[in-house]
Amino acid sequence: MTATIDDELWAALGDPTRRRLVDLLLVDGIGTATSLSGRLPVTRQAVARHLGVLERAELVVPHKDGREVRYVVNEAQFARAVEQLASVGAAWDARLRRIKAIAEAIQSERNVRHD
Amino acid sequence: MEFGTVEREIHIDATPDVVYEVITQPQHIAQWWGFDASVPGQLTRQRRDGSGPVVVPVDVVEADAPRRFVFRWAHPAGERATPENSFLVTFDLVPTDGGTLLRLTEAGFREIGWEAARLAAYHRDHGAGWEEHLASLAVYAAGLVRR
Repeated sequence: MTATIDDELWAALGDPTRRRLVDLLLVDGIGTATSLSGRLPVTRQAVARHLGVLERAELVVPHKDGREVRYVVNEAQFARAVEQLASVGAAWDARLRRIKAIAEAIQSERNVRHD
Repeated sequence: MEFGTVEREIHIDATPDVVYEVITQPQHIAQWWGFDASVPGQLTRQRRDGSGPVVVPVDVVEADAPRRFVFRWAHPAGERATPENSFLVTFDLVPTDGGTLLRLTEAGFREIGWEAARLAAYHRDHGAGWEEHLASLAVYAAGLVRR
């Protein structure tokens, strides 16, 4: 499991409606744009659009069933999202170490030039 | 486990001017974060599998060189960044003897309230069964429906 933050995953989860959709799908096991829109204060079209974003982030998987598409949570990707939520601190540690390295390299270059 | 705020500090042997430059300039951001920040309002990077760019909205809240740099990010594209839909990152630069103390906070993990993740992490930490986890989620979902 990677410790790096997948920014597309974060962007997909940046919306409260999409997080509720994931919550509902986890509870129900399966859902369609129509069934989910009945449980949230948003239109079927809006739910379909949000499901599309979640699908691109691989958080949900579509199953074609006649005219409706049924969605289930991709549990591997969901576990990854949870893991990443927990590893945000580690990600910032790595970024701060890189900031330190770059700044100190620039500083020592400038110090040499001024000596 | 941190779900509210990430807080870190690190000492850097460089002046606040240099550190501020590294934090805010696109050519440096590309190195420490891996994002192309040259277009205002967005961070862009190529997907590892070659299937195109990932674009993440970013909104600078405060730029007070060389003391403070604050931005919001990861809100839905086309929407204004708010405490409910984005993460707030704050860099504070404190001059020290010959260097800079860099303080970082990232807030929003509790505010955006992703209950599923919180519960799943709780489940993992406490070794509770999956069924128990689902039961907790059902209680949470019932709360949502009632609201």
